[in-house]
Amino acid sequence: MGIIGEFSELYLFPNGLFITIQLAITSLLGSLVLGTVIALFRIAPLVPLRWLGGGYVEFFRNTPLLVQLFFLYFATPYIGIYLGEPDTFGFRAAALGLTLYHAAYVAEIVRGGLLAVDKGQIEAARSLGLTYLGMLREVQLPQTFRAVIPPLGNIGIALVKNTSLAATIGVADLLFAGDIVESRTFRAEEAYAAVAILYLSLTIPLGILVNYLEKRMLVAR
Amino acid sequence: MIEFRDVHKHYGSLHVLNGIDLQVAEREVVVVIGPSGSGKSTLIRTINRLEPIESGTLVVNGTPVHDRKVDVNKLRRDVGMVFQSFNLFPHLTALQNVMLAPTKVKGIPRGTAREKGIALLTKVGIPEKADVHPVRLSGGQQQRVAIARALAMDPKVMLFDEPTSALDAEMIREVLDVMRDLAREGMTMIVVTHEVGFAREASNRVVFMDGGRIIEDSPTAQFFERPREERARQFLSRVIHH
Ligand SMILES: Nc1ncnc2c1ncn2[C@@H]1O[C@H](COP(=O)(O)OP(=O)(O)OP(=O)(O)O)[C@@H](O)[C@H]1O
Ligand SMILES: [Mg+2]
Repeated sequence: MGIIGEFSELYLFPNGLFITIQLAITSLLGSLVLGTVIALFRIAPLVPLRWLGGGYVEFFRNTPLLVQLFFLYFATPYIGIYLGEPDTFGFRAAALGLTLYHAAYVAEIVRGGLLAVDKGQIEAARSLGLTYLGMLREVQLPQTFRAVIPPLGNIGIALVKNTSLAATIGVADLLFAGDIVESRTFRAEEAYAAVAILYLSLTIPLGILVNYLEKRMLVAR
Repeated sequence: MIEFRDVHKHYGSLHVLNGIDLQVAEREVVVVIGPSGSGKSTLIRTINRLEPIESGTLVVNGTPVHDRKVDVNKLRRDVGMVFQSFNLFPHLTALQNVMLAPTKVKGIPRGTAREKGIALLTKVGIPEKADVHPVRLSGGQQQRVAIARALAMDPKVMLFDEPTSALDAEMIREVLDVMRDLAREGMTMIVVTHEVGFAREASNRVVFMDGGRIIEDSPTAQFFERPREERARQFLSRVIHH
């Protein structure tokens, strides 16, 4: 009897898929916002802000994501950081870890995009009387995001796959569902093949969405 | 309206502005000419503080521009600038380019800003391009949108840094026509350009720069008929015969 026969276990997949999607969307939005802020720090006119941004990127890019997740999950209770009740704790630690880690990559990409905006654009905006922040919001950031959609898409896809590490800190995500199905059915090949296909069902549409956005932005540029 | 007094600036060892004294009155149109590297761009970019100065004073509309306490953003509202490379915002349509500063800097309601934007695009001769992005516009059209964008803030002064030198002959004319109209309406203008025809017809004075100094500052007719300075004479004969 194959996996399809084990009806009692199958509900685990949609539940896991749902958790994975939730985790991916939360962390993706979080890392876009945080990464953009860090990127703005890195190009800020104030030197201390630049150091802060640089330190952030170096730290989070140069330590393993799994170690960061373990730290958030196992170590925070001992240093007085409260991330939630036991039922939400794992998810929050995972979302926070994924956000912090991928924000470092987002920051590097957004920083590159910000620096690639023509200096004449910035001068034109400032000479119209826009403040530095107004110029960022109306001119430099919109142009940056149009240019960095493809590399940000790659980060997004990496992030979706990296959510699977959350299973190691007890989050009942897609991979976790696969583990349980496997342990109950002893059908490793089918369980993990199903998990892989379900990840594909997230990453491939995401890639298509990114291509579509890129094309649309090219028209407007 | 604009007054430079003994203004100096260096780029490293290069003395790019070497004791500039210059006054521009309201409704005056001043053309700045001079060889490449003489400091013309640097000069007009100090007027809205795109470039800092090291010493001397520069007063625009009664404001000491380079005073630390001056709110540079407020100052810039009154000083329109047009660049050689247009610098339109590529992610916005022509009309959105024109509306941006009035809505975001002055907080004018969108409806009012839109009406005014369309009026300005009409003034520069391209109302039909309102909803087009800059990539779809010719160079001349882009530069005219850039002029409309600067005018949208109702500036008291307009600065032009070689506004036509990136354009073909045909487009140069359409841009110069717009500038000539502006001059006729009494806009105070400082124009860096080698367009002798425009200078002769539209300007009151010509300022000739070389090596970071103002070598000659004469009424337009006099400058072209009997320039005082030998260097200006040589430069003129080169520009005119081209
Ligand atoms: N940011 C800068 N750093 C160093 N040197 C500069 C900088 N900007 C301009 N210069 C130098 O200052 C001098 C004057 O430049 P400026 O652009 O004002 O000349 P210009 O008269 O406008 O010349 P052009 O006719 O070529 O536009 C040039 O020698 C230029 O190389
Ligand atoms: Mg120049």
